[in-house]
Amino acid sequence: MSVWEKLRPYSMVAPAIIVFSLFFIYPIFYMMYLSLFDWNFVSPDKAYVGIQNFKDLLTDSDFRQVLSNTTIYTLLTVTLTTSLALLLALWLNRKGVFHGFVQGAIFSPHIISLVSISLLWSWLMDPEYGLLNWVIGLAGFGKLAWLSHPSTSLVSLVIVAVWKGLGYNALVFIAGLQSIPPDIYEAASLDRSKPWTTFRKLILPLLSPSIFFLVIINMIGSFQVFETIAIMTQGGPVNSTNTLVYYIYENGFRFFKIGYASAAGVILLFIIGVLTIIYFKLLSKRVHYR
Amino acid sequence: MVKKLTAVTLAMLMTGVLSACGAGEANTNDTSAGANAGANADKNAAAGNAAGNVAGSEAKPENADASKKIVIKYWYAFGDKIEEAKKHMVQTFNESQDKIEVVAEFQGNYEDLHAKVQAAFAAGNAPAVTDLEISSTGVFAHSGMLEELTTYAERDKDQLKLDDFNPGLMGNAYVDGKLYGLPFMRSTPILYKNVTMLKDAGLDPAGPKTWDELEQYSRVLKKKGKTGMTVPADIWYYEGLVAQSGGKMLSDDGKSAAFNSPEGVAPVEFWKKLSTEGLIKIPMGDEAGPTADKDWANQLSAFKFGSTAGVTGSLEIAKGNGFEMDTAFMPSNVSYGVPTGGCQLVITSKSSDEEKQAAWEFLKWMTSKENTIYQHKHVGYLPTRMSAVESDELKAHFAEFPQFKVAVDQLEYARPRPMENAYPEVAKIIREAIEKAILDPKTTPQKALDQAAEKANKLLAKS
Repeated sequence: MSVWEKLRPYSMVAPAIIVFSLFFIYPIFYMMYLSLFDWNFVSPDKAYVGIQNFKDLLTDSDFRQVLSNTTIYTLLTVTLTTSLALLLALWLNRKGVFHGFVQGAIFSPHIISLVSISLLWSWLMDPEYGLLNWVIGLAGFGKLAWLSHPSTSLVSLVIVAVWKGLGYNALVFIAGLQSIPPDIYEAASLDRSKPWTTFRKLILPLLSPSIFFLVIINMIGSFQVFETIAIMTQGGPVNSTNTLVYYIYENGFRFFKIGYASAAGVILLFIIGVLTIIYFKLLSKRVHYR
Repeated sequence: MVKKLTAVTLAMLMTGVLSACGAGEANTNDTSAGANAGANADKNAAAGNAAGNVAGSEAKPENADASKKIVIKYWYAFGDKIEEAKKHMVQTFNESQDKIEVVAEFQGNYEDLHAKVQAAFAAGNAPAVTDLEISSTGVFAHSGMLEELTTYAERDKDQLKLDDFNPGLMGNAYVDGKLYGLPFMRSTPILYKNVTMLKDAGLDPAGPKTWDELEQYSRVLKKKGKTGMTVPADIWYYEGLVAQSGGKMLSDDGKSAAFNSPEGVAPVEFWKKLSTEGLIKIPMGDEAGPTADKDWANQLSAFKFGSTAGVTGSLEIAKGNGFEMDTAFMPSNVSYGVPTGGCQLVITSKSSDEEKQAAWEFLKWMTSKENTIYQHKHVGYLPTRMSAVESDELKAHFAEFPQFKVAVDQLEYARPRPMENAYPEVAKIIREAIEKAILDPKTTPQKALDQAAEKANKLLAKS
């Protein structure tokens, strides 16, 4: 075997590996390195502070609130998006002009830029001049504060995220449903299976790869929520919508605390890593790949 | 077995990839966002260079010496009228001489601009000249990003006339006794009044001059179904109200908080009392500022606070919506008092000497008497030079539009904004404390501000 033949596979994967290491692996390690320093990004000297950044983070009540905000946001977004999308998919999984139209309509938010969506919803949710409060007013209810009160702000952001993600999730579910061979349904109906039983015993297990995929993707997306927060709330009011990624951005680029922000980044990395492992451990047992 | 192995490998791989995604996101905030901002900066730099090259190559045939033309970048904040004015001044500068070509580039609001300058500086391609919001002068100067201007000013003192600048605006130009910036588009908050609404309610449109009068006015207006004032819990206005109560934001050495003193608590108690009684409205959230403007424009509330930069725009709105408007000092408590705001022009320290000299020429041009008059009339920012205020041109302008003069007169009561490294974060903590005190009936202003002061002290002690 010539040298070239041995090297060939490596040279083939080299471009991907180089890009991956340069833009993913290196930044991760650099971030871990920076998390041990007190640095403002421009000054020539970095002060080594050990794990002080982590200590500060964990004793900071704002950071604890940020963690709980992120968790609540993720739980709500993932459960709502996935379950609503599944219902929609079950309804839309048939032929016809109307269903095709609805499918297209609910998918459209997915292709709109999040920035435009944020601006649009900021206006819809404006407590004084927004369309939503006007409609609620017509129905005879009092005005909602939406983004302008700590008790409703986070849920308002969840609504935007669900609205944005629904179409894509439903599409994946529809694809999953359509890949289920019709003979299985036929067998089930021959056995006089009730619709609910068919759903629980047949559709759900056969759909589990899609569910698994969507839960993971949605979870990561929600943990990384940034644009809507940067544009619609900037973390307020009273820190009620501040989530991990925005918190990191804020500390790094508004308060120039790169070390501190990196430490928060390391914590985000850790959380997502742990969650992923748990998901695979728990869910892989329940996922049926055919 | 094989299946299990595959699952485990997959899990490991996924963890790697997913956490990489996570880190990528984290990095959207340190490195990747750095990369992001950096990328933007690069793009701008590239655009700047390209523009510079084009300008250079265009200039060549005209003038053989022009091949040596120095091209410097100038980054600025804000669009609309402000951008128009800045672009116009840059253009006239470029046309006024043939040695220096300034390429002006828009960078968003002050926060965007600061983040981009910082990233570009770290990457080694910062603009030679940039706008800098005044309270950030401290952070930038302390990080060594700014060129000290003291010697330049000393050398060109006859031309520059440093003491011609309004003293009320120079407080934020110096850091540790050294000059770092020249006042450019500077502002103070002022009170905007809907005179028509006041007259309809039988109120004297000359007032309200004090907090008590503001409360009385608001009571009368409430009976007419209006709101006295819509005001966001903005740090800038709060700084004004603290000054009016005779207090300070920070201790003199800047190492500890002073806003939890009785003078600092009084504004929050005042706001809380009035908003609880429904006399004023304090909107929360990101849209709070625009909401205040809209309420005022739509004649739901009679008063708003706003920057002098909005005078031209507000006059247009009042005219369009058919009411008469006036401006006034922010009402006094113990005395009048306002913070100043806006930006100054600075030179970054990593530029070459040649670029710095060119940048200095540009700074002098932009802050000249003629240009400060121009930007004042075009936008509404303060005329920064005394000679400008006393000029016939502005005297005539004030006679026609007295609304413009208020901010100039109010400068007598102006004080600089705190410039400590940690102040941006302290400002956020204060704003949250104020919002919490107003929203939560169980949190007293004193308690909220004490908690904020405790956090702020930790941050201030470090810097």
